[in-house]
Amino acid sequence: MAASGAESRPVRGKTNPETGKLEFFLDVPFPTPQEAEVALRSLSPDREPRKGGISKQLTMSGSTLSVRWIADEARILRVSVNSFLDHLSLVVETMETFGPPVPQ
Amino acid sequence: MTVVIGFEGSANKIGIGIIRDGEVLSNPRRTYITPPGQGFMPSDTARHHRAVILTVLKEALEQAGLKPADVDCVAYTKGPGMGAPLVTVALVARTVAQLWGKPLLGVNHCIGHIEMGRLITKANNPTVLYVSGGNTQVIAYSERRYRIFGETIDIAVGNCLDRFARVIKISNDPSPGYNIEQMAKKGSQYMELPYTVKGMDVSFSGILSYIEEAANKMLSSGQCTAEDLCFSLQETVFAMLVEITERAMAHCGSQEVLIVGGVGCNVRLQEMMGVMCDERGAKLFATDERFCIDNGAMIAQAGWEMFRSGQVTELEDSWITQRYRTDEVEVTWRD
Repeated sequence: MAASGAESRPVRGKTNPETGKLEFFLDVPFPTPQEAEVALRSLSPDREPRKGGISKQLTMSGSTLSVRWIADEARILRVSVNSFLDHLSLVVETMETFGPPVPQ
Repeated sequence: MTVVIGFEGSANKIGIGIIRDGEVLSNPRRTYITPPGQGFMPSDTARHHRAVILTVLKEALEQAGLKPADVDCVAYTKGPGMGAPLVTVALVARTVAQLWGKPLLGVNHCIGHIEMGRLITKANNPTVLYVSGGNTQVIAYSERRYRIFGETIDIAVGNCLDRFARVIKISNDPSPGYNIEQMAKKGSQYMELPYTVKGMDVSFSGILSYIEEAANKMLSSGQCTAEDLCFSLQETVFAMLVEITERAMAHCGSQEVLIVGGVGCNVRLQEMMGVMCDERGAKLFATDERFCIDNGAMIAQAGWEMFRSGQVTELEDSWITQRYRTDEVEVTWRD
């Protein structure tokens, strides 16, 4: 059903030459926009545990969930991306086991 | 009829329970048990919860004989607790609430313990002693809040017991507290330990430091046995808890005590509290390990009360919080 993090489209990471900050992008395709929305709304409420040095933005377009990180340090970025992938795979597994969404 | 499913995972237990109008339909649970001498770390605990949560959810539905469509509301622990395990459980609760098209409800873990204790024991308006690995509070209800009359000023009583167990390498299976309780029954010699009650509050960190420092010396010199230490530690910390509970009862003119939380299933604590209650002509209420120790049904029960009184949590407000005091919650379901 929904793609796991590993199967998602190529991820992109780079250092922004203007800001000097690290940027990381991840696109995750879902079978339908409804499922992408469920994932977006499940993954969005919790803020980053760390106060500064990193920001994470989740958006969706069609059936694709997109995540964009901006971080000061690679170490902080890695922790956040790893933890997000753990969360994403749990949400996807939950959707596979208890989905698809019931029609409202 | 109102059916609420509750998700709990704020510490090393993961539990999912289903309640239908005061009836516990199912309440499966798993515990993350670490080797002797080790505590549970947030990321390892979260990994444990991720690995089993969907199996536990299937069990909860199967044992209750319900389909997702029969559920009216999905309750989960919003806090307090360890961040990573809390997020794990909240993610699944949010996802199934959306998949099933059901409202979501974030529950204060402490309120879950209190409401489950009230449901099981039918205690009407008790003074509550809430004792666990993460919390130690004496609570009484007044004007729409569970008010904290006394609490620990440092570590929880259960944390003191757990960490003592690590020092002398007592097994964490099924729980360090249970094993201390069994060993304490064989202890005969009372070793004096610091007794620290400060007004309505208690402190356990000094007792822990003292026993951490002294335990191995006393054991290797043959001054006392590990059983004696378990006995002495229990007698000391439980006496402190009984003292502040009694003082809170006197303040409130209360004739009921309810003990909740993981340490609450300790029979020696119940006995000591029982003696105090007898002397005052008061009544003691306690539950066994099924409902004292963290479980899903307690979140479902508090959720049931909240949902029936008109509360729901919007998805965007469903963030978890490591700090969430008992008295922050407006109790909309009691007079």
